[in-house]
Amino acid sequence: MINLAYKDISHSLGKFVITAMGVGMLLGIVLIMIGVYRGMIADAKTLLKDVGADIWIVQKDTLGPFAQSSRIHEDLKDTLRVNPFIDKTAALTFQNLQIKTPSGKMVRVYGVGYDPFEKLIPLNPEKLVKGRTIQKDHYEIVVSEKLGFELQDKIKLGRNVYTVVGITENTVSSGGDLLIYLSLKDAQEIQFLYSNERIRNDRARGITNKNSHLVNCVVATLKNETDANEAKRYIERWKHKSVYTSKEQEEILTKNVIERASKQIGMFTIILIVVSNIIIALIIYTMTLEKIKEISIMKLIGLPNGTIIKMIVEETLILGILAFIFANIFSHLIYDKFPKRVILTPSDALTLFAVIISASVAASFFGVYKAIKADPTSAIGG
Amino acid sequence: MGKSDAGIKVEGLTKIFGEGESEVRVLENASFEVKEGEFAALIAPSGAGKTTLLMMIGCVLKPTAGKIWLGNDLVWNEKEWVIKDLRKIRREKIGFIFQAHYLIPFLTVMENVTIVPQTIGWSKERYEKKATELLEYFDIADKKDFLPSQLSGGQNQRVAIARALANEPKIVLADEPTAALDMERAVNVVKMLKKITVERNVAIIMVTHDERLLPYCDKILSIENRKVITKEVEETKII
Repeated sequence: MINLAYKDISHSLGKFVITAMGVGMLLGIVLIMIGVYRGMIADAKTLLKDVGADIWIVQKDTLGPFAQSSRIHEDLKDTLRVNPFIDKTAALTFQNLQIKTPSGKMVRVYGVGYDPFEKLIPLNPEKLVKGRTIQKDHYEIVVSEKLGFELQDKIKLGRNVYTVVGITENTVSSGGDLLIYLSLKDAQEIQFLYSNERIRNDRARGITNKNSHLVNCVVATLKNETDANEAKRYIERWKHKSVYTSKEQEEILTKNVIERASKQIGMFTIILIVVSNIIIALIIYTMTLEKIKEISIMKLIGLPNGTIIKMIVEETLILGILAFIFANIFSHLIYDKFPKRVILTPSDALTLFAVIISASVAASFFGVYKAIKADPTSAIGG
Repeated sequence: MGKSDAGIKVEGLTKIFGEGESEVRVLENASFEVKEGEFAALIAPSGAGKTTLLMMIGCVLKPTAGKIWLGNDLVWNEKEWVIKDLRKIRREKIGFIFQAHYLIPFLTVMENVTIVPQTIGWSKERYEKKATELLEYFDIADKKDFLPSQLSGGQNQRVAIARALANEPKIVLADEPTAALDMERAVNVVKMLKKITVERNVAIIMVTHDERLLPYCDKILSIENRKVITKEVEETKII
């Protein structure tokens, strides 16, 4: 039996392919939107994973350091370290900074300050693509490759100039800002040390001994078989701090910090999927209407409904499959042009494929209904 | 009247469109017969119901009353179709020819001609042999891989006739097949139909407005005052 769908598509191949490309681009945007959502979630967890801590100790009654402002004393890391259940500790600072890239553009970055001589550092060595980690207390900086710096480039921050000693990839904050790493001392100076004018002004007001040995949080890893919740309770009771396990910190990040943004992206993605399906349905319906005369002729000369329905459904499926292929090509061509991380996963693509194919088949029912209802006499205009 | 051995037999056929004040009576109590091997012309003024009658015989349009036999099968009995799968009747028993060729534009000549036999379930060998024979008969075998858009109007009309005959029907219904053709080509088509009638023992009803074509027919069915009047042609032109 002649494959009518194949014949019809071959007859108007260009038009069919262009239609599939159009639908594919729309679906590509859906894939990108899902990728943006995935990227946002992944970005939120990047720093958490890189730090690799079991517990996060922050200022009492705050959610810090990512959700709320938190300031605690740096020496808490030493006080904690003597506890038998603590393995390693580190004091960290986090702050937003503006730096001038080699192209002259001012870019917002997220600065992470850490003590380079601690055993626990927030810079994952696997993400270093060039150079090394910070090895001095002062004037060294590690930056994200997307900022465009090269090793040994100089960057002015606050009062001082820093030398690029390392370049990382895929290092972003929960908000998607690129990360830079500084020594804890430099980071504290940038965050807590005021300008000379401000210090003079403070002294005139009777404010003295401004303490710059503050950090935003202290993180710690626990010794084997230590229950994180027990450690949390102990520190909260005796050190008067808020403590979060890594799981709680992840929840704070994904629920408190990026929840609304991710929901917005999610909503937008759902709307796009619905709109895409409506467009596919309209295309299938229009394609059927364009063939209604031929369908009437087929009915008039005795072709059964099954043959006609098969043609419509097959064309719909081919359109859906082609559109899906174009969607993947399109999304993979453009995803790295987006300023924030876009993660395209095969599972998301397959889910979208299943949704689109189901929706296409459902949409083809409009066309099938129209074909079944087509009056054979309309073929001859009488 | 009982069972018929005619190609087409119509008895007391009535067609009314609409109801009440908008009721339009197109045919009333029409009866006639076209036997296998007979070529009948159906003539009437525009709007008199020629196409309606043809569509009822072709099992496309429901009559209001009466009976229709196709071959030996009673297909319409007063209020209902006796045979439920009307498309099966159309693809197995009837060949349609229209004023325009109405070929499927995305199929080649060969595919257009073989689509109905393929649907019936003929073997590839059988439908290809039949199609080739018909295309050779109509002198368009060399165009078998062409699309309708690549052929002239006359060539397409010949393909349409070949399609109508590809399922070896015993009944051919032709709705003004010559209307779009000049006289020379119209006569050629009618001669072709006449030849088919004789050679293949087919019952053909051809709607026409052109009285110059009537001498080629065996009988003339004319719709007058909603009735069908049958008139034998005394001297049929021999092909």
